[in-house]
Amino acid sequence: MKIVAVCACTVGIAHTYMAQKAIEDECAKRGFEYKVETQGGMGIDNELDEDEIADADYALLAVDVGIEGDERFDEKRDEGKCLTVGSADAISHPDEVIDKLIAL
Amino acid sequence: MADAQAPAKQKKGFFSNFGKDLLKAFNTGVSYFIPVVVIGGVFLAFSLASGTAGKSGMVVTNPFMKNLNLIGMAGINMMIPVLAAYIAYSLAGKPGLAPGFVLGYLVNNPVAVGKTNVSTGFLGAMVMAVAVGYFVRWMKTWKVNNTIRTIMPILIIPIFSTLVLGLFYIYVLAAPLSIVMNWLTSVLGSLQGGSAIVLGIVIGIMTAFDMGGPVNKTASTFTMALMTAGVYGPNGMFRVAVAVPPIACGIASFVAKNKFDDADRQMGISAIFMGCIGITEGAIPFAVKDFGHIIPGICAGSAVGAALAAAQGIECYVPHGGFIVALATNNIPLYCLDIVIGSIVAAAIIVAMKPKLDSAK
Repeated sequence: MKIVAVCACTVGIAHTYMAQKAIEDECAKRGFEYKVETQGGMGIDNELDEDEIADADYALLAVDVGIEGDERFDEKRDEGKCLTVGSADAISHPDEVIDKLIAL
Repeated sequence: MADAQAPAKQKKGFFSNFGKDLLKAFNTGVSYFIPVVVIGGVFLAFSLASGTAGKSGMVVTNPFMKNLNLIGMAGINMMIPVLAAYIAYSLAGKPGLAPGFVLGYLVNNPVAVGKTNVSTGFLGAMVMAVAVGYFVRWMKTWKVNNTIRTIMPILIIPIFSTLVLGLFYIYVLAAPLSIVMNWLTSVLGSLQGGSAIVLGIVIGIMTAFDMGGPVNKTASTFTMALMTAGVYGPNGMFRVAVAVPPIACGIASFVAKNKFDDADRQMGISAIFMGCIGITEGAIPFAVKDFGHIIPGICAGSAVGAALAAAQGIECYVPHGGFIVALATNNIPLYCLDIVIGSIVAAAIIVAMKPKLDSAK
């Protein structure tokens, strides 16, 4: 199982990175492959390219704001393999979010 | 293939997620606009701190400080265009940026309506940015031939959207929006005594409730809108309130050693620092760990601080908070005291409500 995710919150100094950690920890616990891009106050880190997104089984967007490069996920959306949640959801119950994602 | 699918998808989602899209758009706008506000706020705070209180706010005389003031004012003048541009960007993508910036600038500057000049600031920017967002989104769905398609993003969308919406603003929207702004300004500017305290309590609770999230930014946008209209009282209340949550969490983590672990105290130091420089987000890590016990305390503390500021008529002349702007307020000792009292009240409630570490586990 391979998962890609993007995290972005309003100000980009706290929630973004907490969501990243929550998603990474949850994926690691389940033994999934994962890569989590952050779009925080410092800009984009750990950027996902088209191939990585195409390779992944599912895409998770834990975002509260409009993100850069949103169109990268259009294909995953058309396949119904993309879930968008708020950053707070990913932080407070990452297990439920991932369950919902892989049930798509 | 992607081109063929895009219009259909956009049509489907055009207004279907209106509320959600709008919330996301305002958050996006605020997220880009905050650093600009901080630039303006901090530079202005430093330069105003060197001035002497005059009849219409602070008067700066030192030439170097006047230049800092100039830099700060550049930041303040940029903040509304940036807000408008990124609200539009969130709704319409890159083509929304240019008309968003230009119309944001337009609404922030005087426009002749009848015999008077009006500028509608925040309110105008938010209304126009949403209009730009949906207008450009709609233009993106136009079916045009390939020659035209190449010049859509650089020529047709920016010119046409700005022309239509700019004229619509000047001839239709500016007058009613300015009436709403004037009404808000006169009602809230004349608040005194009990009603000012109620406003302070509301602002305080909104400030602490989500610690820099959308509710907090609603309060902040509201007080800044009034500030640009020359009403500084609500901004004073808000700037006291923003400092309270992180400072309170930090104090609580040091006072109640049996209720917070060492990792909390580490965060506590940075939280206190963030509170002093007016960054409410410093409290987030505490609240995420223990939402139920933290939020009531910081809401109460911020409300107390803001209500005190309201009762004392504290005014803050810059759009930033915490102790670092104390010098740019009309009463430095009381402003600082309000932050301290609010923080102590909040910390006391947190300590009282929070269970001991062992029983929590």
